[in-house]
Order: sequence, then C-alpha cells, then structure tokens
Amino acid sequence: MGKIADAMAALDKDALMAAVKEGLASNTDPMHLVEEARKGLERVGADYEKGKYFLMELMWAAQIFKDALALITPKLPEKHGSTAAKGRIVMGTVKGDIHDLGKSIVRDLLECSGYEVVDLGVDVPSSAFVDKIKQVEPQVLGLSALLTAAVTQAEATIADIKKSGLRDKIKIIIGGGVVGEINASDFGVDFATINASEGIRVIEDWIAKQKKGA
Amino acid sequence: MSCYERLELAWNLKEADRVPCAPVNCYILPHLGGINIREMFMEPDKLVKATIKAREMLGGGDNVDPNITTLNHLSMFGRAGWDQATLDWRIWDDFPPEGNLPSLYEKPIIEDYDDVMKRGFAQALYNRKLENKVHARSIDDFLYYEYEYPKVYAAAWREFVEEQEVPLLMGGRACHPLDMLQYYRGISNLTRDIFERPQKVLEMCGWLVEYESMLAMRDAMIMGAGEVPGAEVIFFINGGPPGMSPRIFDKFFWPIAKKMIDTFVKRGFKVHCHWDNDLTPDLDTMSHIADGLPKGKILLDLEKTDMKKAKETLGDKVCLFGAVPSTLLCYGTPDKVEKYCKKLIDDCAPGGGYVLSTECETPWDSKPENVKAICDAAKKYGQYRR
Repeated sequence: MGKIADAMAALDKDALMAAVKEGLASNTDPMHLVEEARKGLERVGADYEKGKYFLMELMWAAQIFKDALALITPKLPEKHGSTAAKGRIVMGTVKGDIHDLGKSIVRDLLECSGYEVVDLGVDVPSSAFVDKIKQVEPQVLGLSALLTAAVTQAEATIADIKKSGLRDKIKIIIGGGVVGEINASDFGVDFATINASEGIRVIEDWIAKQKKGA
Repeated sequence: MSCYERLELAWNLKEADRVPCAPVNCYILPHLGGINIREMFMEPDKLVKATIKAREMLGGGDNVDPNITTLNHLSMFGRAGWDQATLDWRIWDDFPPEGNLPSLYEKPIIEDYDDVMKRGFAQALYNRKLENKVHARSIDDFLYYEYEYPKVYAAAWREFVEEQEVPLLMGGRACHPLDMLQYYRGISNLTRDIFERPQKVLEMCGWLVEYESMLAMRDAMIMGAGEVPGAEVIFFINGGPPGMSPRIFDKFFWPIAKKMIDTFVKRGFKVHCHWDNDLTPDLDTMSHIADGLPKGKILLDLEKTDMKKAKETLGDKVCLFGAVPSTLLCYGTPDKVEKYCKKLIDDCAPGGGYVLSTECETPWDSKPENVKAICDAAKKYGQYRR
C-alpha cells in the first residue's frame, strides 16, 4: 500500500492531500493515484464492517476521497482521455420520505468507486423512477426508505416498475432504517440492507456478474 | 397505585406494583382522535379531547405526551430555528399527511457559526432558506404564540392531568446541541465540520447549551413544573447524529450531554434522555450519567441500543425506557408485540428501574391493536407483586 492508500485508510485528509499533490508533481499516472485512493477507501469499508469505523467516519472517507479526486480529475484526460463509468445506478428516497442521508452515503461511495449515479433526490414519486429507468437504462435501482410509512411507497414504486415492464431489466436494492426489520422478500426487491458498505458490495457484484455474462 | 407513583418508583430504581407502560404516543393521538395537524397545533382543547379518545383505543399508558413539540414549532424564536426548518408545511391540513411530519432535511440553514454566536439565530432564520410560509405570519401571531399561547396550552393539559390522573411525559423539551447542529447544518456538513474544525463545533455546542437549557426549563415552568405531575421532566433529545463512533461520542456528545443533565437536575428538574440510534458501544461512557446527582432524577430512553446490555451496564444507576420497534407496531401483530415486550420485561424489569415503551415514538400509522398490546403485556408479564 502506498502513502495515498494509507492516508485514506487512516482518514487523514492532510496526509492524503499532500500525498496526492506529491504524486501529481512527480508525474505519476493520475489513474494510479485514483486506484490507490480507492484501495484505501476499500480498507475503510472493511474496517467499517468490522466495527472499527462508524457511519460518520464512512461519510468522512467519502468526502475526503472526493476532495482528493477533485485534485486528480483534471489531470486524467491528458493521460487517459475520457474514462467510462463501471456501471450506472439510479437512486432515490421514495415518496413520502425526505430522508437524504443514507442514500447520499451510498451514492457518494458508489461514485468514489467509479460508478455513475443518477440521484433523483428525496420524496420521489414512482413515476419519476419509472421515467428515469426508461431514460438512462441503469443496471441497478437503489431505493431508500427510513420511515415506516415509506414501506408502502416502496412497494408501490416496485409495482409501477413491474407494470411498466422494466422489472426484469434491473436489479433493485433497498436500504434505510425501516428495512432492517422487515423481510426483504416482502418488498419484491433483490436485496435489502441497512448497511451501506454491504449494499455497495452487492451492487458491485451484480454489475460485475452482468458484465461477465454480457 | 397511581400512574405517577408507579413511574416515580421506576425512576428511583424500585419495583412498583407492575412495570410501568408508557408508549411515546405523539402524532398517533391526533390521527386516531380525528383531528388534523392544524387543530393539534393550535387548538389544545381539541388535542386533549383527541388524546383521551385515542388513549382508550391504545390501552391508556402511565403517562401522556403533551406534544410540547407543537409549542416549539409555533415559536419563531428560541429553538424555532430547527423546528421551523424541519416542519413540512404541507402537513398542515392533512392527516394522514401528504407531506412529512417534522423530519430532518439535509438543507443547511446556517453557514457561519461565528455569526450565529455573535448575533443569535435571527440572522439564520431570516436568511430566507426556510419555507416562505414560515415567514408569512404576522408579528402579532409570533408574539402570541411565543408568549401567550403556551399558557393556554399548559392550562388545557393541566386540566387533563387533574381529570385523568395521568402525568405528563414532559414539561419542556431540550435538544442536544449536536442534534441541533445536524438540523442547522445537515449531517453531511456537520460531519465535515467535526473532522475539519472540531474546536469550532465544540465552541458552538457550548454556546447552544445555555440557550437550549434555559428555553426548555422555561417551557417546563409554564407547563406547571412542581405542580403538575410530569411537568418537572425535561425531555432531552435526540442522542446525536446517527453513526457517531465512540471517539466522536466521547468528545462531542457526552461532555455536553452530561453538563446539560447536571444543569437540569441542579435546578430541580428531572431529565428524560430520549436518545435514538444504537448507542450500545457507548454504554460504558453512559454509565456515568448519574454521577454526582441525587437518585431518581434521570431516565434513559433508548431506541436501537441493546436493552439487555444497557440493563447490565447501567441498570443500577438509571431507569431504562424502551424500546418496542416501530416496524413491529406498523407491520407486526399483537402476538408478536406481546412476545417482544415479554423479552424486554424479562431482560430489563427485574429489580425495578424500567418503563416499557416504544422506540423513538409510536409511528402515527401504527396498528392501534399493536400499541395496545404493549400496555397489555406490561399488565400480563410485568407484575412485581402477585
């Protein structure tokens, strides 16, 4: 592990930014710097799942990763031209629920891992999900639901996606406080979790398998 | 034994006739009582009547939530900053709501801590980042709801307590500064602040301690602290932003929480710590919650925390309160609720010092029979003296 990964894993923003600047000054391939930072971020995710880090630290990790990426990104086209995203995910908090945090953490972590995320925001009606799925053809739909009342909205959203003939074209994951205490199959989703890091792993796995199968 | 006596024994870590039962029934009361949010907020007589009707459907309970939150929402001053910011005004005429009950919006309404500490919240409130409706009321309205309406509200609840012989859950409500900051700044911004400028966050929290404590005690006095049973309780919310590590809890949450608790108790109030999230990793720290204070003044109301571990770690120091899951109340059955309550009673009730209750609060869309099952379970499984 290099300095960047170590600083990222230690959540040391100053050391991370210094190491990134040093790498850029010495003409290191910017993609290598991104990958190093991602390795560090993966260690943070692993430590989060082990209980060494907590949610707030996971959020901070995503924030400083993005700070580092802001330094690196302008240098990427010089060396690599435009880079393709690993996959596309549509996300949103279902209608009737305005909680943003859980969804935003997952969005940030997915973006940090190289995925394109179309974030529809909070209080999203099912028609907006359906329209966006038709428009951008994601591999995965991520629904967020924290309130108990959001459960019925999540079910209604999935019912509308089925009606539109889109259900078989995407994987659906749901996350949020209310999800952990209810049977995932009740929602008609492919996976349900209250753990952001676990959610990311599942999404990455789905997209990787889909690519292999393609 | 009266409801108040039963609760008092629990606060003092003693066994009563049975385990007290006190689901935190908030918005479910107007919902079942057949009134809308506007009436709930602005017509206390209707709220009290709706509460009596709903309590019959929900099996009663050893106290009642007087919904002090409504006073705070109507107040433009004081802690109105976050109350105004969290209230979705679409709910006003609806029930069930088309919009949301007061919830966390990730919309920062303050950016400059120093400015707030220098000039107060007025600047933040009038920076027009809040809903227009917040500003649509007249000055007369602001003054009435700030200074006169609380007395009208308190009188209605005083009558309820005298007639029903059921004490209030609280007289005033205080918010931990870190909780306030998550509303003012959004959790994402607050996280960045905690890591990038920790001293400024601590300074702001210190500034908010007095601000918030004084307002809560003022409300409790208006509600009748010392005369109306339960009004002497300060409801101290909400356990900080979600996902704090023990490092953050110990540095940013705990010292301030303890300082506020000590302040309330030294001024003669009792403190109901209503702390959400899973605080299991913080139980050892929290075991010092009653240090230096007289017995019977603190109750710890937990949400996702392991109640059995809580009993083991601090059950001899503080009364515990909780924690039937919200999802169970909405999607479970009375049998499942009863089973869950029995386990809670088995884990937490021996020796006294436990009140059977809900997680954060009873969701407004809970099945009434499930909420009733909580109080039924307290009577069935919670008998100390047969």
